[in-house]
Amino acid sequence: MSALSSPASLDRELSAIAGNANVSRTGSGGFNINGVVPAAVVSPASPEEVGAVLRLANDRGLVVAPAGGLTKQQIGSVPERVDILLSTTRMNQIEQYDPGDLTVSVAAGMPFAEMQRTLSEHHQWVPCDAANLDRATIGGLLATGASGPLKSTFGHMRDFCIGVQFITVDGKVAKGGGRVVKNVAGYDLMKLLTGSYGSLAVITRANFKVFPRPRQMRTFICSFGSLEEAIKFRTFIFQSPLTPMCMEIISPRAPEYLSDPGPVHDPDDYAPEQPLSLPAIEWQIALRAAGSDNVLARYARELGSAVAHTLEGAEEERYWSWISHFEQSVLARHRNAMVIYTHLTIQGVEPALQALERVAPDYNLIPAAVGRAATGHLVLALMPLSVDPPSAMQYANCVSAFRGMLPPGSSAEVAQCPVEAKLHFDVWGTTPTDVNMMRAVKRAIDPKNILNRGRFIV
Amino acid sequence: MDSSIIRQLRKIAGKDAVLDRPEELMLYEYDAGVDKHRPGAVVFAQNAQQVSQIMRLASEKKIPVVPRGAGTGLSGGAIARREAIVLSLARMNKILEIDIPNQRAVVQPGVVNLELSNATAKYGYYYAPDPSSQKACTIGGNVSENSGGPHTLALGVTVNHVTGLEIVLPSGKIVEFGGKAQDSTGLDLTGFFVGSEGTMGVVTKITVKLTKLPEHVTTLLGIYNTVEDAANTVVAITQSGVTPAALEMLDGWMVRCVEANVHAGYPEDAAAVLLIELEGMKEAVEEQAEAVSAVCMQQKAREVRHAKDEKQRQLLWLGRKTAFGAVGRVTPSYYTQDGVIPRTKVPYTLAEIERISKKYGLIIGNVFHAGDGNLHPLILFDGRDPKQTENSKKAAKEIMACCLSFGGSITGEHGVGMEKMGLMTAMFTEDDLEVMVRLRNAFNPESILNPQKVIPDLHFCREITGPLPKAKVEPVAEVSAGRMPV
Repeated sequence: MSALSSPASLDRELSAIAGNANVSRTGSGGFNINGVVPAAVVSPASPEEVGAVLRLANDRGLVVAPAGGLTKQQIGSVPERVDILLSTTRMNQIEQYDPGDLTVSVAAGMPFAEMQRTLSEHHQWVPCDAANLDRATIGGLLATGASGPLKSTFGHMRDFCIGVQFITVDGKVAKGGGRVVKNVAGYDLMKLLTGSYGSLAVITRANFKVFPRPRQMRTFICSFGSLEEAIKFRTFIFQSPLTPMCMEIISPRAPEYLSDPGPVHDPDDYAPEQPLSLPAIEWQIALRAAGSDNVLARYARELGSAVAHTLEGAEEERYWSWISHFEQSVLARHRNAMVIYTHLTIQGVEPALQALERVAPDYNLIPAAVGRAATGHLVLALMPLSVDPPSAMQYANCVSAFRGMLPPGSSAEVAQCPVEAKLHFDVWGTTPTDVNMMRAVKRAIDPKNILNRGRFIV
Repeated sequence: MDSSIIRQLRKIAGKDAVLDRPEELMLYEYDAGVDKHRPGAVVFAQNAQQVSQIMRLASEKKIPVVPRGAGTGLSGGAIARREAIVLSLARMNKILEIDIPNQRAVVQPGVVNLELSNATAKYGYYYAPDPSSQKACTIGGNVSENSGGPHTLALGVTVNHVTGLEIVLPSGKIVEFGGKAQDSTGLDLTGFFVGSEGTMGVVTKITVKLTKLPEHVTTLLGIYNTVEDAANTVVAITQSGVTPAALEMLDGWMVRCVEANVHAGYPEDAAAVLLIELEGMKEAVEEQAEAVSAVCMQQKAREVRHAKDEKQRQLLWLGRKTAFGAVGRVTPSYYTQDGVIPRTKVPYTLAEIERISKKYGLIIGNVFHAGDGNLHPLILFDGRDPKQTENSKKAAKEIMACCLSFGGSITGEHGVGMEKMGLMTAMFTEDDLEVMVRLRNAFNPESILNPQKVIPDLHFCREITGPLPKAKVEPVAEVSAGRMPV
């Protein structure tokens, strides 16, 4: 807490802005961000109230963490302190939806799945299949640039977001873009805010272009004896006329985590379904195709004997939900697992997966991976063995060894790992984009660094 | 321009790489839009180091610099005011790398858009954004303007196809954003930079996505007896669940204009035609073509023609892509707008444009990207007649007011530049614009680069930016005679 304001007076001032009922004190044992408990939680009801909270914080130099459904707050470095957790969840309405225009305008605190349900009544969707969409809010998904397997074809939030309203630290209600699908008036603030992890401004509303939802989908799961064979198959797909909506690569140990959560053992216990003495070697590629019977029949024909299973209907939906929740499934069973997100070139996928398989055992970690084979966005999990859990330094050394083996231009951020380990390395790692320029942008819009101080790369 | 500056520019870029004689500078005083200003000098950089040295010199001497590609822009983004240096990237025109396994190409900014697709076609790939000027416009210019084109309906605009940039900042510093991976850790400065209209940095290298050529392409021509039926079809197709690769509309006046020019095969008695392209797997395209034809007929199309072969398909597209040129044949001047409206408002807006046309007694032709509601009304007038010139401006203003009343945009793909700067306050509040100025200043703190573009000079700009470079005080000339875009 800043020396400039006592906890009681801050509470009073926040209450004056948002009302008594919408300000609370979390206290120890409550919600924390990497072990740091926010001093106060405030839930403003409008962009103007968000502005008033930010102005207050900026004047006092208080650190603010914008928050939605709290599904991704543990990503990032350990904050030195959090004075105010600013929740957007009271701003949760669809503000405008015209199915004929294929656009929707939504307040940032609405859970994504709620918006998606409204769109699905008109056979439309925003093609995002990130995890925890029942809780994750529109604003949170934008701020974290969240995505799932559909990223292969549709890109991620930045590619659907056509307008954004946000609040700056000096309390200004500002916007970028608009409500039409094509628009180059002014700078593209949607791109800047997507994936900025709440470090530049607080998003209060977003406009999206929506898409017709495919009426029929089918999934073809293909199995291979080695990574090399799986990658060869990917090249075959690239060279074929097929245009699958999703193309996931699944490492030998990953299928164990592609199921509904089973009974939880000791969360630190690595308890594989199959004994480790039978090493899993099978790599899979899962293709999801959309289209008419004729189109899907063509897939079956072209893929031929490579297909081990075909999934349809509810079974298919469930399978892709498991893929989206791979990380959550790992963490439910291994509290101390480490999860890494990669940004790779297409050709970087194979060396990155080789690096994972090679590095993990050196640090007593078990590797598993699921990810977008066509775009290089992998979710890599490293699970500790309960018999010989790694030290904090071992996590750090493992990450550093792994990053060292990636092709130049790659980036790999550590999304989850024990807090103690985070103190020993940079969770964000290197990036091909000029970091000084990122910092200059941050300074231009949050000069006192009150938004998510110390958590993001800027 | 000061002769010592010219000397220093020659020292940096070479003797034959600097123009300063009036007859030479005349060629650089316009783009494909309406504004016109003569620069102080033109310098052709050949590599990023030269760009860096030029920027350092300009920053030191406080001389504004305006980056320029092929000059095909429609909003004055590449036009410099007097005493400014035009920095042409046209000689940096090499394709540096075609990397098929990673589905990327690395190009210099002066590479012509269509040349990249031509160079990659033999591998089964192409560069998807296709502005109508793609035979001439450069990819560097496309990045600055975030250019669109007919085929961006399904595949997105330039920003969706750029993954990496090398930028020279006004200070002369060379920085990299992104690379060959689709994205990277940290702020998406690549995405933010695209469409910044040369006001943040000079692009010297671009990494773009290459897209697999579709297995099958079909082009349909829907022919209508009324504009309204055609406009309703656009709404109905959007709602049918089919996303065409392109969905373009030409009204009857444009059809006749185009036919007189290139004989594309559009029926001259039609009130409107829709050009609909479908692409993808053969099975999907065939089914979609059937579905789209049915929608057209339900919406009272007189006839739906399918292009029989590639030659016929190319001819249909030639009509669309040369439409602006065709207009140039029949009128001394015209003014093209670029407003965007929600798709369901297309029928109403076209009726409104018709009313405005009658009100001012001016022909307004319509040829536009109907699928994304991006209108291009062309207002014909004779620039020598002050009354007509005046009326054309009034008509333009009314059309724009109509677009904005539906929550639309002043520009879908042509950019703000100098031409639409005055309209920015109709779309954005001062707070919105102030945030934009603060962000621009993180890159271009002294407005050396492309000053007085995109964001109007409101009171807060001076407060934030401080004293302006001297060329900023030059007044913007009146809208002059329209030029023929490529």
